[in-house]
Amino acid sequence: MKRLLLAYVACSAPLAAQSVRGRLEGRVPPASIPVLDSLVQVAAHEHLPTEPLLQKAIEGGAKRVSGERIVKAVVLNLGQLRRGQALLRRAGDTPPATPGEVVTVVWALKRGVPDSVVEQVVAALPGEPRSSALHAIADLVVHRIPADSAAGLILEAVRQGVRGPRLLDVSGAAVQELQRGRTHAEALALVRRELPNVPPPPPPARATVLRARRPGGGAPQVPER
Amino acid sequence: MSTIDPRIHQALDGEIPLATLPPELRRQAELLEAAAALLAAAPAAESVAGRVMAALDHPARRSRLVRWLVTPRAVVLRMRPVWSLALAAGVLLVALLPLREPPSIAAVGEEEGIAQFVARFPGARSVAVVGSFNDWRAGSIALEDRDHDGVWRGVVVLPAGTHEYMFVVDGERWVADPLAGRYVADDFGRENSLLIVRPVKL
Repeated sequence: MKRLLLAYVACSAPLAAQSVRGRLEGRVPPASIPVLDSLVQVAAHEHLPTEPLLQKAIEGGAKRVSGERIVKAVVLNLGQLRRGQALLRRAGDTPPATPGEVVTVVWALKRGVPDSVVEQVVAALPGEPRSSALHAIADLVVHRIPADSAAGLILEAVRQGVRGPRLLDVSGAAVQELQRGRTHAEALALVRRELPNVPPPPPPARATVLRARRPGGGAPQVPER
Repeated sequence: MSTIDPRIHQALDGEIPLATLPPELRRQAELLEAAAALLAAAPAAESVAGRVMAALDHPARRSRLVRWLVTPRAVVLRMRPVWSLALAAGVLLVALLPLREPPSIAAVGEEEGIAQFVARFPGARSVAVVGSFNDWRAGSIALEDRDHDGVWRGVVVLPAGTHEYMFVVDGERWVADPLAGRYVADDFGRENSLLIVRPVKL
């Protein structure tokens, strides 16, 4: 199986193999670098995002995980990316999906949003960023609100013109109602009644912004949203 | 010089009642009483000499001051060279300080946001934030506990979007942020905290 994988990679166009190995060197056990490099090449060949795989490998190295476990985690992530891409295709997204869209779907699935609900959201927001909508639904799902009901609230907010990070305020308002002791149904109904007006979070104070500094060391990675 | 009738004197001194005077004398006595009352009520006038001296004195003082200010004088400052160098270094530091200001609101790009990290680790010697935004490099974002109350804080400019991260305590202990509210499996048997950075709109 491993030989087949390597042969497959050798036939495909290599993805700046040097840069991949360069980023992994010194960050993961050296013996695992060739396999990790191959996995990244496979992802590139399948038009899957490669950055999450590199990040996962580097994360494993930083956490001093063994090379074997790093490879396992990267293989697992490759599978998740494939699942995300397939889901986007099923939901009617025109291929190829952007790396950000695939990663967004993977996050939603990992946070417990069922495939069917993710597909529903993808189909309801064609050509629009779905990151905030999926995170908002996941925020409700982790508070044990049924995924269908959570998706219902968020998609209703979308229908009423709420977009982008403001959708997180919708789920935030529902979670607040739960914390005040309301039942799931009561919380969702209350927030639904308030739509599209949900209180925004307070902007950061000027003093806070002035205190902010940029991370030193490694260059910040632009996230795939 | 006119003389005053002695009976008016007696009436003004209170020796005889005013009503006992003939009408002519009584009117004179009343006029004199009114004049005395007016004089008692009026403020004492400044003396002429005082007023003249005041008028002469002010311009003289002012012109002396102006003359003192415009006349060139030699100023001798005795200073050890080491103090001169320290003074020059201080002036240079003050001049350069504005160049080292923290990022202003204008310096935070449209696709960037502010992330605030707060964590309670009593007794910790160091706490760092490590995540996908800094290539999982420990030490690039160190939190601070200035008042040594065990609460570590940091404010960082990050690209807007979703990031995975963890705290690294004392350089070796990896801990998920208890206040993150969002978590995702890290595929190494633990959970990463999930951070959603919104673009700054002020």
